[in-house]
Amino acid sequence: MTPPVLSLITWSPFVGALLIMFTARHRPLAVRLIAAVATGISTLGSLWIYAAYDREAAGFQFYEKLPLVPPLGISYELGVDGISVLLVLLTSVIILAGVFASWTITVRGQEFYALLLALVTGVFGVFVALDLFVFFLFYELAVLPMYLLIGIWGSSGEVRPRGIFAWAYRETGVGTKEYAAMKLTLYLLFGSAFILVGIFALYVNAGASSFSFVDLEGVSFAPAVQRWVFLAFYVGFGILAGIWPLHTWSPDGHASAPTAVSMLHAGVLMKLGAYGVVRLGMGLLPGAAAELAWLVGTIGCVNIVYGALSAMAQTDLKYVIAYSSVSHMGIVMLGAATLTEAGLNGSVFQMFAHGVMTGLFFALVGLVYEKAHSREIGKMGGFGAAMPGIATAFTVGGLSSLGLPATAGFVAELLTFLGAARSDHWWWLFPAIVGTFLTAVYVLRVAKQIFWGPPSTHFHHLEDARGPEWVALVLLVAVLVLFGMAPGLAIAPVDTATTPLLSRIVGP
Amino acid sequence: MPGPDVVRAFALEIGLGALLVLVFVANLCIRSVDRRVIGWIASWGVLVLAVTSFLVMPAPPALRGMFVQDGLAIFAKRLFLAATFIGLLAALGNAHPAFVRRAGEYHLLILSSLLGMFVLVSARDLILLFVAFELMSIPLYVLSGFLKRQEEAVEAALKFFLVGSVSSAVLVYGLSFVYGAVRSTDLATVAQASTGIQPFLTLGLLAAFAGFAFKIAAFPFHMWVPDTYEAASTPFVAWLSVTPKAAGFVALFRVYLEGAGDRAAMWMPLAAGLATLTIVAGNLMALPQQNTKRLLAYSGIAHIGYMLVGFAATSASGVAMVLFYLVTYVFGNMGAFLVVEAVARSEGSEATAAFRGLAQRSPLLALAMLLFLLSLGGIPFVAGFWAKLYVFWAAASAGLYWLVLVGAVLSVVALFYYLVVAKRMYIEPPERPERVRLSTTLALAVLLCVAGVVVLGVYPTPLVMAALRAAAPLF
Repeated sequence: MTPPVLSLITWSPFVGALLIMFTARHRPLAVRLIAAVATGISTLGSLWIYAAYDREAAGFQFYEKLPLVPPLGISYELGVDGISVLLVLLTSVIILAGVFASWTITVRGQEFYALLLALVTGVFGVFVALDLFVFFLFYELAVLPMYLLIGIWGSSGEVRPRGIFAWAYRETGVGTKEYAAMKLTLYLLFGSAFILVGIFALYVNAGASSFSFVDLEGVSFAPAVQRWVFLAFYVGFGILAGIWPLHTWSPDGHASAPTAVSMLHAGVLMKLGAYGVVRLGMGLLPGAAAELAWLVGTIGCVNIVYGALSAMAQTDLKYVIAYSSVSHMGIVMLGAATLTEAGLNGSVFQMFAHGVMTGLFFALVGLVYEKAHSREIGKMGGFGAAMPGIATAFTVGGLSSLGLPATAGFVAELLTFLGAARSDHWWWLFPAIVGTFLTAVYVLRVAKQIFWGPPSTHFHHLEDARGPEWVALVLLVAVLVLFGMAPGLAIAPVDTATTPLLSRIVGP
Repeated sequence: MPGPDVVRAFALEIGLGALLVLVFVANLCIRSVDRRVIGWIASWGVLVLAVTSFLVMPAPPALRGMFVQDGLAIFAKRLFLAATFIGLLAALGNAHPAFVRRAGEYHLLILSSLLGMFVLVSARDLILLFVAFELMSIPLYVLSGFLKRQEEAVEAALKFFLVGSVSSAVLVYGLSFVYGAVRSTDLATVAQASTGIQPFLTLGLLAAFAGFAFKIAAFPFHMWVPDTYEAASTPFVAWLSVTPKAAGFVALFRVYLEGAGDRAAMWMPLAAGLATLTIVAGNLMALPQQNTKRLLAYSGIAHIGYMLVGFAATSASGVAMVLFYLVTYVFGNMGAFLVVEAVARSEGSEATAAFRGLAQRSPLLALAMLLFLLSLGGIPFVAGFWAKLYVFWAAASAGLYWLVLVGAVLSVVALFYYLVVAKRMYIEPPERPERVRLSTTLALAVLLCVAGVVVLGVYPTPLVMAALRAAAPLF
């Protein structure tokens, strides 16, 4: 009997949230310590399952099951395969860094940390749940606290609306945190409506006896059912993954959210969407996945180029990072759609690499904003002298973002491109490579302007990261470089999950 | 001399009748102008009835099958008693002169309407059904205009009365066709007769359906709802928004589904269409509302649409899920109205703007409201989620995937206007720092609603099972 380590990872932040709500009133340090310990436990747990995961065996490991509503076939069923083990690790790294990155939150800090930890429980839960119903519950838990987190602690953009639609933007409050919070919540819940219908359709068509992923995997659904449910999942999870043209919540949301929430949302929650498409869409509906791969891949290409072009046009630093996420999520979707082993591994690796990278970016942007109180790229310049640590970390993240060898981004993109070249749609390679080129343009431009250019006269008293903030930066940069140098660390477990998945879709 | 079976069948009605007489006599005996003590008598009486209702067992049909005390009826009566207790409790602290002076009138009317509902959900005869319907409705018209010196209240009562009378007329007109086709007022005979194409029977049932739709306020028969809700006193509206609707639904089940077996499926397109219209219209019309009571009125119309989704499944599980939905709706919707009452008494305004910064002024009250809104919005871990989920599940089992999708997508629209209130409470700064004061009884009523919403949200299974048991004999 193995200890219920997955439950421990999932519920530890939740217990932390409860403790913070009920015991740490008006004691900011206690709030932070509880948060750090709760997420630290999750991190240790996920490191342990990452290390102990049997790389020779396929299937779900660390399995737990507890019947919840037997008449409907709902049970609390957890387990991880190679894909989820990596994503659990990613989540724990990001949240640990996020807790340290938001150390300086002063307004209503107790509620902030409680909501943040509740949110993380949802994210962990989605990655480890094997029962579709419980999966959905966790999914909702991961989406909802976001409204308050952005609405209360977020920041509004400084860029005033311009152009012929400026009045409409002013009217609806585009760019404000309230607008972003509402938009994000409604988009994601709109998506979850599709997911719910899809889950129900599978449940009813499989004989209405079980919500278990393992049971449903054994059912072969009729082609029409597969097609419709796959589309429902693709739209539902795709909204969260930021697929074009349903991505517009993401730049607004990520730009307005407070640092830790941006890190978690762009770093992990968007992956949750991609994970949903791969796990539920491709895993349960192999026929439809093969049939509709052209759609997923083509929209992935649109994402890559559109996101990169949009990022180039931004003048607000947070929006640049946010649009780069849209672009990079395109690589994730493209890799999955290639239906090749290299592509799928690259896709999962990109989920991990982009999660860490974007988490790093948002942490840095948060730090810069806190020191300089500005997000406008045009006003900043020459910060490298005052904040060398932040500048270095930003440059490493940027190089990973544009896919420089020896960083995690390189491995992910290389694998994805290899997959694309070997797939039935080799022309996907061109938009993908164009996207990488555009990424280099905007990332280097931003890095040069802010950190390495001539010093700006707008700012005084800039300083580098301090104390706990370093923890976040060092942790994320180290992971980024480590997995770039030794990609096998991630590929080995992922391969155990992608190989059987592919053999179900395209045959052995 | 009635036999013990009849007494068993009528146990709750007899108890309620006794309570009515008690309230009536008490009202005669009290000499002082302050008659609020009657409120205590009535609410304690209802509480005692609610507790005893758990001792009541299903009994064989009485009065030659006209009156039946089956699982469905008992389930509905418990729901009415719980809702009435919360409603009465919330009104106890009301110090408005009219309530102080005319408390006897108020409680007599509520209890008579309640008696009407009791008989309605047990009626298996067209005449008894109609009489019970009127006994339920007429006190409601009076209660809507209870504050008779206020113009809005009179207008609301008149509107409600006119619409209600027309719907009663339509209902009874339809039922007359049914009688003409079947030559019996017995619902069991009607159910067995509805084989094959019988134009007059179908016409009659359709007309009656329109009458019922007025009562439960489905689109396009909803016009009276927002005005009535806005003008009438809030604890009464909280009660009005749930109990008569629940009674209307049970009557729908009796007339259209009970004993009809597979033939019940003929109502599926009609109910699904009405559900779609009601959900879409209710949610869209709720969007621009600035008055919280009107907002909740329109959102209530949308909720009726979701319950019609369960009705459209025309299956035992569909009926059960509507029953479950009604219970969660009692707690969520009444709770929301009661918080509105608390805020309105303190701020003197029912606009959503009155909720500004409530989270910083009265964190617990704001949390309660948030829970009610989330429950109404169908968010996990509070009761409303399971309610929506289960009616969707019932509809999906009946193959109505498109209806589930419409319902699920529109529930996101609903979330927008619920979140607007949440935004006012949590994100916007308060205008005044002091706490919102509310009377002990009102706080207790809110607390009961919170308990209902949270307990059913965390552990809904027993109630779902009870609802399934209550609904199973219908088919």
